[in-house]
Amino acid sequence: MDPILDLSLSTASDVPWLSIIVFSPLVAAIMLIAIPGASRAMVRMVAIASTVVSLAGSLVVALAYNRGEGGYQLREDYPILPDLGVNLSLGVDGWGVTLLLLTSLIIFAGSWATWTLKDRSKEFYILLLALVCGVFGVFVSLDLFVFFLFYEIAVLPMYLLIGIWGSSKRVPPAGVFKKMLSGFDLGGREYAAMKLTLMLLIGSAFILVGILAMYFSAGGTSFNILDLEAATYPRALQMWAFPALWLGFGSLAGVFPFHTWSPDGHASAPTAVSMLHAGVLMKLGAFGVMRVGMVLLPEGAQEWAFIVGVVAVINVVYGAISAMGQKDLKYIVAYSSVSHMGVVMLGAATLQVDGWNGAVYQMFAHGLMTGLFFALVGLVYDRAHTREIFQMGGFSGKMPAVGVFFTMAALSSLGMPGLAGFVAEFLVFLGAWRAGHWWWAVAGIIGAWVTAVYVLRGARAIFWGDGPDTERYPDLKDATGTEWVALVTLGSCLILFGLAPLLLLEFIDVSTTDYLGRVLEVSLADVGGAGNP
Amino acid sequence: MTILELALFAVLGPLASFALLAVAWPLRHSGRPAGVISAAFALASLVSACLALHGFIDGGETAQVHEWPWLVSDGQVFATLGAQLDGISLSMLVVVTFVAACVQVYSLGYMAEESGPAQGRYFTWHSLFIPAMGGLVIAPNLLQLFMGWELVGLCSYLLIGHYWRKPHAGYASVKAFWVTKFADMGLMMGIILLFATTGAFGWDVDLPAGGVALAVPALLLVGVMGKSAQVPLHIWLPDAMAGPTPVSALLHAATMVAAGVFLIVRAYPLFLGAPELLTFMTWLGAITAVMAACTAVVQDDIKKVLAYSTCSQLGYMIAALGSGALMGGYFHLTTHAFFKALLFLGAGAAIHAVHSNSIHDMGGLLKKMPVTGGLFIAASAALAGLPLFSGYFSKDLLLEDLLHAGAHVPLGLLICAAGLTAFYMTRVVCVAFLGQPSEKAEHAHSAPVVMAVPMLALGVLAVVGGFADTTLAGLWGVEYERHLVTPVGAVTTGVGLTGIGLGWICFGSGGLAGLRAGVAPVGRFILSGPVDMFWDTAWRRGLAPFARAIAWFDRYIIDGLINITGWATLRAADGLRVLHTGRGPDYVFAVVVGAVLFAIYGALGL
Repeated sequence: MDPILDLSLSTASDVPWLSIIVFSPLVAAIMLIAIPGASRAMVRMVAIASTVVSLAGSLVVALAYNRGEGGYQLREDYPILPDLGVNLSLGVDGWGVTLLLLTSLIIFAGSWATWTLKDRSKEFYILLLALVCGVFGVFVSLDLFVFFLFYEIAVLPMYLLIGIWGSSKRVPPAGVFKKMLSGFDLGGREYAAMKLTLMLLIGSAFILVGILAMYFSAGGTSFNILDLEAATYPRALQMWAFPALWLGFGSLAGVFPFHTWSPDGHASAPTAVSMLHAGVLMKLGAFGVMRVGMVLLPEGAQEWAFIVGVVAVINVVYGAISAMGQKDLKYIVAYSSVSHMGVVMLGAATLQVDGWNGAVYQMFAHGLMTGLFFALVGLVYDRAHTREIFQMGGFSGKMPAVGVFFTMAALSSLGMPGLAGFVAEFLVFLGAWRAGHWWWAVAGIIGAWVTAVYVLRGARAIFWGDGPDTERYPDLKDATGTEWVALVTLGSCLILFGLAPLLLLEFIDVSTTDYLGRVLEVSLADVGGAGNP
Repeated sequence: MTILELALFAVLGPLASFALLAVAWPLRHSGRPAGVISAAFALASLVSACLALHGFIDGGETAQVHEWPWLVSDGQVFATLGAQLDGISLSMLVVVTFVAACVQVYSLGYMAEESGPAQGRYFTWHSLFIPAMGGLVIAPNLLQLFMGWELVGLCSYLLIGHYWRKPHAGYASVKAFWVTKFADMGLMMGIILLFATTGAFGWDVDLPAGGVALAVPALLLVGVMGKSAQVPLHIWLPDAMAGPTPVSALLHAATMVAAGVFLIVRAYPLFLGAPELLTFMTWLGAITAVMAACTAVVQDDIKKVLAYSTCSQLGYMIAALGSGALMGGYFHLTTHAFFKALLFLGAGAAIHAVHSNSIHDMGGLLKKMPVTGGLFIAASAALAGLPLFSGYFSKDLLLEDLLHAGAHVPLGLLICAAGLTAFYMTRVVCVAFLGQPSEKAEHAHSAPVVMAVPMLALGVLAVVGGFADTTLAGLWGVEYERHLVTPVGAVTTGVGLTGIGLGWICFGSGGLAGLRAGVAPVGRFILSGPVDMFWDTAWRRGLAPFARAIAWFDRYIIDGLINITGWATLRAADGLRVLHTGRGPDYVFAVVVGAVLFAIYGALGL
């Protein structure tokens, strides 16, 4: 079927756009090594130039992608280890277009939001750009070996970024494990960086096992995802490899109970890193579960879908209620990510077109929303030097624009129509209900209400009321200069993709239809029932 | 221009002024010019809506539906946005834009004393309201209706919070959002269930008999109970009075709160499949009408009286729809929009004049501000349902239908509520507008022209609007014949006059002190807000501590278990470290032992 909104570039081009998108951050990072760290203006210029290149490239890719055809397009192949079947093989599908756009928007906004960073900004940008290269790489790699390499590149720099540039807020040990926890610096940035990295690396080990199992089972000749897709795997293998991939990727997507790196990690990380991590990196996990786990292992996916869904429901509700119990602004936003990523996983578990479309849309919408949130949190923290929301109040008097954008992000997160979050949540709930698990949708809707409770309570505590106390908060001022870029970019995208979802949905839908068809074509007649083990 | 273009301009035109004011901050901060732009767009919107209705009537009243794709699934469009233009939506659109235009013009005077940025912000959100409400009204399906529904809720949240520095306003706006969003969970579930069952979001569908036929309308009704402030979800509406008075007139009296009634009218085919739910609605509405009327009697804040009165009148409409009185309920929505908006604008003028909300700070205002006073009294008469005023027509019509439907007890309750309505409005009129001017009222001045003209416009409709009944019935396609003298009408009028008389005796001439002292404990009980207290306790004793407990659990138990893994790894490493002594002989010993073990292994040929 022809796309409803036809914006495609008709000219086919031979420009390797995907390579440009993926490697422009890396090239910039290498250039930065050569630039003296003292010339901060130069450092920022190079970094921002590379993000502009990726953003422009992503837009071109979106326009060049033919939605009527679907599948992988703009293919590029460069051999690396042909003997093992390892190649740098790039291509983009509808999901990839969406996530490329998201990533380039977030890194564009994030590098502006870091404009004022003074401490070792050169090294910061080098690590940040390396990380982004990894993220782009994951979304366009067809070769699972390279995919995994990029995945690790995306995860590892986080350790240094949080450990060096992060902030600490110590938490006293308590509870039944109090004695054992006394040796840990709970809430400290080194602790947070270590926990995040270790948890994600353990996840990586599971992923690696899953990928290798598929590789050898398929004959051990190719890591290409299209070849792996064509192979069929024994049921027994699917039954254990799928959960390995689910938990492996899922730990990055914040799947309960492996989500606890997220509150500490996001709270400790500097602004741009939180934006990128919550906004994009968590999506790598969800993308991996769906694209690699579910599409390659359809029987495993169908058998485990119910469990995945139930855990996702826990994520949504439990994450939201946990967020409601927080007093620290960054923890509130971090727990809201746990809850919202639950919506993504819930959509994935439905194995319905609407649910999957919603899941990918939610990746995009949540990325924009949480990116905006963390940019604003950074602004507030910069000026107020505290994150305790109940010690704030009346900040709108001094920073009205920050208040307005915060409210906008809050509204998107609680599913206000007209903003991107509504489209995603609505599709996911629709899918959940149609999948026959009406209570998944009910739980999701309750989660959205709890979100309304805590985000609006937070907005009121920070921005409304009398104040601000000028003696206590002498530095409060509204967004200035370069800080506007992040706010306006992300805010206007939230509105645009909330009002005109077809702009993205047609990309997402064409890939969803293709992949879901693969998953569902595996008959479960001999297993009985869809998804209910 | 076609009807479609006119209707779309009426709905989307103000979006241009919203975008302009939102983006062009110097204009927004200028205050009054921003207000003039916004009001001009609202007036243009009104003209456009009237022309659309006129074109519709001229064109033989053929309904038209236009839809544009909004969501796809599997390559197929499954959700659309659009416009369903028929008598119901176009007449409602005229009502909405009329009240909105009146309120915005009035606001130019009412808000004039505020700072430029505050005015600019106020009019920016007002500009958003017409598209949101208009989108709801012309919605061709429940999905678009839901979107408009949430957006008017957003406008309500933002406008209640206009005086954001006052803690009470912040509390009220968040509470309004929480409570209506709580109810909207039901609405959203209903819409999704409807789609999962029928594959569409339309209302003209037959639901399969059984649980779904009851569940869908019941879930929709939950949403209605929140938005249209039915017991026990009415608690947000009185608090919402923390917003500026014109906002209360437009959103919390005339249009937004009536969205629930509009939804039921639109989706009536769905409700028809659940007769037990309709009976429930009749009772729900009647109980709300009486409870809210009782509460209104003891309020001292003039806006709170009107807010509870709004709850009560919405109860009438819901009860009417429950008993099948579609025309009566919808007609009452229309007349109520005019006279209640007028009451609020009149109250606003009085508040503006005396700088207090309490009716006891007013007094004798009729002499000080005759136009406002006269209009307020006329609107009160319409609310009390005095014959020939607009409220009489609609109230009589819906009560008549209740009688025919055999809902005798709810009918009795509603007639009681009519008496109470007459009583509490007489109280307000006597205390605030008649009698001796109080100290604060001494310096009251009449409302400026920019406030008086919109009130006059509403006043005309509040008084004679009842005579539009046949026209509206034609538009809505209802068989209707005007009966001015009916048994129910006579009884209601008698009860109403009794209420007015009692009110006059109690508050006009100062009689019946014994009666007033006797019911004082009842008043105190009502004022303690039992329903509010229930919800408040549920939040403070239930949800909030629960959330803190979960947060603690996550921090120290779930994360604790994760940390324990790290701790155990470190301890295990400590344990294994004793093997690494660093002494050569130990390692040689280990090598020898290993070699021997291998040798044994090999020798045994295992």
